[in-house]
Amino acid sequence: MLRTVICDLARLRLSGSASPAAVLITQVREKGHLSRPRLRNPYWFIRQQRTRTDDLVTGENRTFIKEVVHDTYGVPALIKGTQTYEQKQLIKTTEAPTDAEPWTPAVRRCGLIARKIGQYPLWLKNGERVRTTLLQVVDNHVIKYIPPEEYRPTQRPNVHHLNKYGCVLVGAECTNPALLTKEYCGLFRDSGVMPKKNLARFIVSPQAALAAGTPLNVGHFRVGEFVDVRGKTVDHGFQGVVKRHGFKGMPASHGVTKTHRRAGNIGGGGEKGRVWPGTKMPGHMGNRWRIIKGLRIWRINTKYNVMWVQGSAVPGSTNGLVYIYDTILPLRKPKDAPPFPTLYDNADANEPDDIWYDQVHSFKEESISYKPE
Amino acid sequence: MNVNARVLSNRLAQQCSLKRIVTFSTKPTQQAAAVAVPQQKDAANSAPVRKPIVPAHYRFVYPEFLPDPKVEWRNTVREKLERLDMLDRRRQIELPEFYVGSILAVTSSDPHAAGKISRFVGICIHRERCGLRARFILRNVIDHQGIEVVYELYDPTIQKVEVLRLEKRVDDSLFYLRDALPEFSTFDEQMEPETLEEGTPVPINDIKVVLRPRPWLERWERQNLLGVANIDQYIKDKHRKSAEKVQKPWEKYDMMKHYRATIPEEEQKEIFAEVHTELHTLELQRKRNKRKRSFVKPKQLA
Repeated sequence: MLRTVICDLARLRLSGSASPAAVLITQVREKGHLSRPRLRNPYWFIRQQRTRTDDLVTGENRTFIKEVVHDTYGVPALIKGTQTYEQKQLIKTTEAPTDAEPWTPAVRRCGLIARKIGQYPLWLKNGERVRTTLLQVVDNHVIKYIPPEEYRPTQRPNVHHLNKYGCVLVGAECTNPALLTKEYCGLFRDSGVMPKKNLARFIVSPQAALAAGTPLNVGHFRVGEFVDVRGKTVDHGFQGVVKRHGFKGMPASHGVTKTHRRAGNIGGGGEKGRVWPGTKMPGHMGNRWRIIKGLRIWRINTKYNVMWVQGSAVPGSTNGLVYIYDTILPLRKPKDAPPFPTLYDNADANEPDDIWYDQVHSFKEESISYKPE
Repeated sequence: MNVNARVLSNRLAQQCSLKRIVTFSTKPTQQAAAVAVPQQKDAANSAPVRKPIVPAHYRFVYPEFLPDPKVEWRNTVREKLERLDMLDRRRQIELPEFYVGSILAVTSSDPHAAGKISRFVGICIHRERCGLRARFILRNVIDHQGIEVVYELYDPTIQKVEVLRLEKRVDDSLFYLRDALPEFSTFDEQMEPETLEEGTPVPINDIKVVLRPRPWLERWERQNLLGVANIDQYIKDKHRKSAEKVQKPWEKYDMMKHYRATIPEEEQKEIFAEVHTELHTLELQRKRNKRKRSFVKPKQLA
């Protein structure tokens, strides 16, 4: 608006001068400030669901649509514990690229999209009990790789030297494309992967680039390694200080009235006579993105694509989506090379379903007993 | 012990009836038991119905195989993996059938014990949680001191679980033993296991314990306990009145509440159909091994 006002003023001044032909002069001083590019969302943030209308489609036509979906993507199938489609005829790169560069500790690998499916305890070989959270990697496929030259996000993620990194777009959980918008389905056209319900982008080094269509499984990580898990915490709504910050509240009786769960004093007087920034007060609790860092993987099940990670504080509710990354904690980074750029599924039947970390007591082993001294 | 041929008698069902709905409780409610009786008669009159493959008593014998009924916490894959782990553990160790009120001896590895092994005998006063988290509390009085130990059923440090006396009590949990006279929770550590004949129903011990005078740990007068003899002796009118006030007699008609607090029968069937064969073979195997075991002359005590 300011710019238009300035323009108008300039025009007025000019029109007041001798020359009748109006010369438009835009002031350059404030131009950059006003015409800064808007923070656009990534191109894959498109409306996903089609408006559900009561189409006058006959039952025959409906079955025909279903047939078309099945012809293109295969019949619905339960693969690794997730409901998906048999995407046999789709082109998938199942072999590792021959010209892959070796792993170095500085390299950033791709992450995974998973669902938090619950928690239960495991026991270590010394008899210690550890609480674990189960994360199921749900039908992940690489949708696209954007090389560093082309990856110029307007909303820059907090990554140092972002210009050196590319971006891998990963999708999880196939869904019926008849329910999705045309534009959203178009995102998947080049990859040959079926439209997915969930998308996530991972910032990766160019060495860790993955070809579109590569399936990502839990074998991407190994037992004993540490991961960071990102999720959206449970929404508690607007909460008071007792629930939100663990304040004690006030006594229930002994002459206390009208203040049982209130914060009490929120600041001093005199020079500091104001509410200081960051004071713990009532407000909205939860529904925020949080990353819990440095969780050890205790166990992996390749049959159901499940990993058991340390602790029960993984953000989000059960059956909620979480994103798994290699940890950024410097002391917990892997020393030797993990599967790089990812573990290509070579359908090795000899591998056991369950991979236990060597400190963990497998339930198939005998009871734990200590050696008498 | 044979659990296959055991039939849940009506008397049992009535005696176990709940006064309040307990999450994970698989015992039928009073109302459900009342309904169940005429149904059985109808079934006898009508055409013979095909018997279910999974024995009906499995939900009492293996209650921890039923997941938490809270819908938000359920996930089929997790539950399946958990059941597989439970079965794996059960292949390693015999986890016998027992109930609240049974007397157990648990042998577990303990890094701090003298021989790295400790054995604790006590009465099971509480059973809770499901899946690998299932646990129970044993209580005994040792040297005039009440001792309670919480054991996790699937903890691999447990070496052996013996049922010394298999019986039930009339209440869902026996926390009131903490306020009862010590003789009601005193059990001999050298107790010999009592054998129950095959096919007999689990006996119900309707012993009434005698409480110590107040103060108590909980307000027992509010909990409609059947196994306590002398609550009235110690409570005053004001306690009686407040106990009446907090009663919720309508809850036994609240079908939705009951539905939410339990796993529906169809799902129970599905779950047990999955684990039944494995559990059954384990039972048979254990029985065979027991018969094979040679007779050891009991040691004479003191």
